Amino acid sequence: MSINNNIWELAEAFVAGSLSEGEITELNDRVAGDVAFASEFNEAVNLVRSMAGSGKQKRFRSMLRDIQAQSANAPAAPKRIVLPAHFWRTAAVAASVAILTSAITIWSINYSLKKSDSQYNTISREVGVIKKVQAQQQAQQNKLIEIINTKTKPAPPSDVKYTGTGFALTNDGYFVTAYHVISDGDSVYIQNHDGDYYKAFLVNFDADADVAILKIEKKNFHFGKGELPYTFSGSKAGLGSGIFTLGYPKDEVVYSEGYISARNGFQGNGLQYTLELPAGHGQSGSPVIDGKGNILGLLTAVGSQNEANTYAVSSKAVLELLHTIPAASSLHLPKSNKLGHMSHEQQIEKMEAYTFSVKVYKK
Amino acid sequence: MQSPINTEQQLLAALAAGERKTTEQIYQQHYHIINSWLIKNGGSSADAADVFQEAMVVLFGKAQDEDFRLTCSIGTYLFAISKHLWYKKLQQQNRSPIFLQDKSEEGDNDIGIAYEEDVNVHNEREAHYEQLNSALDQIGEPCRSLLKAYYHNDKNMQEIAADFGYTNPDNAKNQKYKCLARLRKLFYGEASPRPSPGERVRSK
Repeated sequence: MSINNNIWELAEAFVAGSLSEGEITELNDRVAGDVAFASEFNEAVNLVRSMAGSGKQKRFRSMLRDIQAQSANAPAAPKRIVLPAHFWRTAAVAASVAILTSAITIWSINYSLKKSDSQYNTISREVGVIKKVQAQQQAQQNKLIEIINTKTKPAPPSDVKYTGTGFALTNDGYFVTAYHVISDGDSVYIQNHDGDYYKAFLVNFDADADVAILKIEKKNFHFGKGELPYTFSGSKAGLGSGIFTLGYPKDEVVYSEGYISARNGFQGNGLQYTLELPAGHGQSGSPVIDGKGNILGLLTAVGSQNEANTYAVSSKAVLELLHTIPAASSLHLPKSNKLGHMSHEQQIEKMEAYTFSVKVYKK
Repeated sequence: MQSPINTEQQLLAALAAGERKTTEQIYQQHYHIINSWLIKNGGSSADAADVFQEAMVVLFGKAQDEDFRLTCSIGTYLFAISKHLWYKKLQQQNRSPIFLQDKSEEGDNDIGIAYEEDVNVHNEREAHYEQLNSALDQIGEPCRSLLKAYYHNDKNMQEIAADFGYTNPDNAKNQKYKCLARLRKLFYGEASPRPSPGERVRSK
């Protein structure tokens, strides 16, 4: 073979740009004078370049897959809720660069503009102000619980930081709420319509969609008797569909009703609905139910005063998140809908057992 | 607006070098928008991941050229490329794209055409790399593993000498050159004075 190893060394140096000016002149002369060498050298250069390029791209692709997998399997913290500190950092970076891009995603608004005068307010309830009242009520409640039912757990120790609403995914303890309700706390309890407290742990969450799946810690726990009466809609409901919700803007369950006013949510978010429905702080995570007893989604945020919309995450996002949790295959999601033939009042009464206040504590 | 331009240019340079932190930052920043757009336009989250990753590779390929300057923001570029890739994919599957009326998408058509060229170049390069890899698969051992170790896994000659049992890095290097010569034969055909098709011989 006419080619010696030299040509490869030369080609590598040429590609790396490490040839001196003199060497390049020499090389050019040889290429100009020797057609066979020119052809060989060209091929060698192309090959070295392509091999390096393809290798570099391969590594880049595998890094992308890694990043994708990382963001898909967002850290699921069993037993204890750990707030991912890096999330704030990412949000801060994103918020500062967001000026560059015309569109700002929900979550950056959600987190960077949390302070107040945003056009998008998440509707978990920050307790603080009404702490006193709450403490009183809690004390009363505890007394009551102690007297009536010795089996129930005592109220959690520290002060309530945020409250929201949650509802059951399965009768044996899985439930869903809005991620922002629980993201800033270190322990989560639910208080059901009977006033009982149960501790819960985070199973998985999707911060972008603002959905969190949690589970009651207690073994053999059941929200109610038998399977859940409602089902989850996998497809998007039409404009104008009548809807209602139950939530805990105060310590008592509150009913409100409205309709779907747009198929997509905040800034065209396809995983959300825009609703014409009055909602206030403490109602984040409330179920959005249509007249036939299908869960269409959960409340996540309200618009600012001049744009009084309410936004709900569609149940599709909930189902997608549900499929990512390890226990997904053994979960018993409700199969049949028992609300469909009931009167509206009966539907609400049934729903009450599976809707509860979510209380988030932080030391 | 001097500094943002510099920032984007710096981001691109870091992306071209394959820096993870920057890649992650760009990824996290723009994925959501493309994800929700795709879902609105008949795709799934898995489609969005595929399309967006391919768009990132297109940008990565463009950024390899030091003279490359974006005429728009990274976000706009990724969005335009992603849309293009998705419409192509729908066409291949004989599904007509669903065009949703959305104010923010006005004027996108021009961008789409402008970046079609980038996608074509990307596809050609992909085909070229694919041919190269199939030649690499035919080359036989130890060349296949050795070249993969060097080019794909970014190992240096020292590591390769140790892994493959060569007495010193120079021996490994000589072996690598022999392997490259074999790869050249497989890829371009037998060396001969007759220029093979597609070959670019420098003319005077």
